[in-house]
Amino acid sequence: MNDTHQHDQTEVIELPQPTASPMVCAFGFALMAAGIVTNWIVAIAGSIIMLVGATAWFMNSNPHSREIEASPEKKPRPIEPRTGVVDHLIEDSSHRARLPLEIHPYSAGITGGLIGGIAMALCAVLWGWFAHGSMWYTVNLLAGTMLTGYADMSMAELYAFHTEGLIVGLVIQAFMSIAVGLLYGVTLPLIPRGQIMVSAIIIPLIWSGLTWASISVVNPALAEHIEWFWFICSQIVFGVVTGWWIVRTEKISTMQNWHYLERLGMETPGVRDMGGES
Amino acid sequence: MSVLQPPAGPRTTEGPVPFLSRLHEWVATTDHKKLGVMYVTSGIIFLIIAGLEATMMRWQLAWPGQDVVGPEEFNRLFTMHGTTMVFFVGMPVLLGSANFLIPLMIGARDLAFPRLNAFGFWLFLFGGLLLYFSYFGGQGLYGMGSAPDVGWFAYAPLTERTFSRGHSTDYWILGIFVAGIGSTATGINMIATILGMRCRGMSLMKMPLFVWIMLVDCFLIVIALPPLAAAQILLLFDRQLGAHFFDAQAGGSALLWQNLFWFFGHPEVYILILPAFAFVSEIIPVFSRKVIFGYPLMVAATVAIGFISLGVWVHHMFAVGLSPLINVIFMGSTMLVGVPTGIKMFNWVATMVGGRIRLQTPMLFSLGFLCQFLLGGLTGIFLATVPFDWQVSDSYFVVGHFHYVLFGGLLFAILAAIYYWFPKVTGRMMSERIGTWQFWLLIIGFNLTFGPMHVSGMLGMPRRIYTYQLDRGWELWNLLSSIGVIFQLLAFALLVWNLLRSVFKGREAGDDPWDAWTLEWSTTSPPPAYNFDEEPVVHSRRPLWDLKHPDDPDWRYE
Repeated sequence: MNDTHQHDQTEVIELPQPTASPMVCAFGFALMAAGIVTNWIVAIAGSIIMLVGATAWFMNSNPHSREIEASPEKKPRPIEPRTGVVDHLIEDSSHRARLPLEIHPYSAGITGGLIGGIAMALCAVLWGWFAHGSMWYTVNLLAGTMLTGYADMSMAELYAFHTEGLIVGLVIQAFMSIAVGLLYGVTLPLIPRGQIMVSAIIIPLIWSGLTWASISVVNPALAEHIEWFWFICSQIVFGVVTGWWIVRTEKISTMQNWHYLERLGMETPGVRDMGGES
Repeated sequence: MSVLQPPAGPRTTEGPVPFLSRLHEWVATTDHKKLGVMYVTSGIIFLIIAGLEATMMRWQLAWPGQDVVGPEEFNRLFTMHGTTMVFFVGMPVLLGSANFLIPLMIGARDLAFPRLNAFGFWLFLFGGLLLYFSYFGGQGLYGMGSAPDVGWFAYAPLTERTFSRGHSTDYWILGIFVAGIGSTATGINMIATILGMRCRGMSLMKMPLFVWIMLVDCFLIVIALPPLAAAQILLLFDRQLGAHFFDAQAGGSALLWQNLFWFFGHPEVYILILPAFAFVSEIIPVFSRKVIFGYPLMVAATVAIGFISLGVWVHHMFAVGLSPLINVIFMGSTMLVGVPTGIKMFNWVATMVGGRIRLQTPMLFSLGFLCQFLLGGLTGIFLATVPFDWQVSDSYFVVGHFHYVLFGGLLFAILAAIYYWFPKVTGRMMSERIGTWQFWLLIIGFNLTFGPMHVSGMLGMPRRIYTYQLDRGWELWNLLSSIGVIFQLLAFALLVWNLLRSVFKGREAGDDPWDAWTLEWSTTSPPPAYNFDEEPVVHSRRPLWDLKHPDDPDWRYE
């Protein structure tokens, strides 16, 4: 308490004298406003009251602000110092262990996504072949995401080959595979253990749940014909292949490991040997 | 300074003070603490009124085709509910808490202009009374109308005399106008106090985050409220003097009102939510037993939010039909405001990580704030996206969104603040047991009420309809929303009970019941009229920590 509350016995504490003038002034102002929607007499009364309040306020503040001496009141209890030093964050990089200090290269995500996408497409096409006797069935269903007319196709039309269906289906599959593969590549290094489990089971199940919730809006054709067991299986195939491909690639250091000068892009040969952060 | 009367003896030696003397003491006070208490108490009373209005609306909408209130009364209910919650609950609580806490936190004896402070409070109160007088005045004096029924943002040309007969809209204009002047005066007062009356050693970067955030908040008040006052004067000219500012048929512009109103209205959302940030920025560190994570960044994020919030107002007008370029610009700026807000969220979470978290009532409500404000913020990002906004504009999705922000966010933070600072204000503790019950009832009731609104909104239910047909698919969601209100009513009844009981029978709090670190906890509970015996001197952002831990003070690390 030494610094904060050393009480000087000789000091006189002065506070503004209580006054109702602000209240009177505000009341008058509100009455003036009310006069607009009631009667002009109310407005006149309000302006008079406001004038009285303002005058009292002026008198209370001029030529000097009127003050009263504060009555002494109960004093705060003195603060008892505690001995010892508290714990502080350890000043090394271990508290950042959750940040990936090493990651898989982005290219692993892209490649893994493409390979996983191919595996998934094969799985889906094979299912179409065996279950419906058409390898184009699943391709057409996927293309229905962008080609809105596919929602109205008959089953025979869905079994048939359509060039634009193949192109659009391939683009969708490639784009989604690369995007999800990249996401895997970025996310998996954050997971301390069980990466394959996450990539093969957990993420495909979450993705399947999201698809289930939104499919009727995104792709009505697919929503009508989808068989969820096989859909989830194809997602798991993607997850297994992509996850396996990414996890097997060699990790690279992130900039977190670099010396500050290196991060600035300066040519600093020998910095690491001089005891840099790496 | 002249001394006008001899000092009275210590209060403890006096007998019971007569009621009239006590009333006079409160009416004539210029003490920032008493005014703060009056602000917050008024806010709580208005909260109860607005809550009852909301209850009536939910009762009406619980089932299709209900006839609890008619369409006109329903319009009045949502208008008064919205207006009251924004102007007469949110504003007084934020100004009241700033009033009570800022001088204590910066080691000052009062605000820079104590009489102006009292003037601001009384203007706010009389403004609120004027608004509610419309229930009697509109009907009784002219036989036309009753309470305002034009919605809390009172779009033109609905507010023109042609469409809004009687004086209900005039009462809406005048009540808010009068209260707005008071709020602006108090905002100026706060800025002057923070910039000019900090104790020795308290540089700007040593101020508590609460004070920083309130400083930005008061700047927003001073910038945003005058355009609303200007718009209201123009509207009054239209209604009383036959002008045509907002009368599109006579050369005016209805869009002008929208621009003027939302130039106030969106910063107003931040004016309301920033104090919530201020509350939890003080509470979370204390109940995590850790210093706030990233103080400078928190300050920077607050200032950034203040700036950006002045440039996002058009996102309330996406459905008006403005040019695509304007829509895209304001979509971008709206999304941008998520960045500093996100920084704050991460920093609050980072403050808790590794801390020794004490799950007492203020912390529970702070955690409720974090979760629910996050959800409200995320649906805000949805709504910032123009195509999505077009789909759900003026639907219950929007109602759900802003209640997650202002109820799940602001009100939960206010409740956290009430539980946290009540011991300082009264010298007594609130009941933890009742507080915990209240928290869980409110969490359930809140989410049950406002969660389903997102679904009913997505299913196409427009806001402000007073009833609906059976075959719309909205029945279940509306029933759930209305059931949630029962939980909320119980929760708020517990709050009122806890407040009243604790004022009279609460356990003695002591000066520093939470083992906190800011200056208000260094003085008595309740603080004396003069706050501190002597002006404090601070060396760090946590002056009480320094005093409690002389071996390991904060200033070594700042």
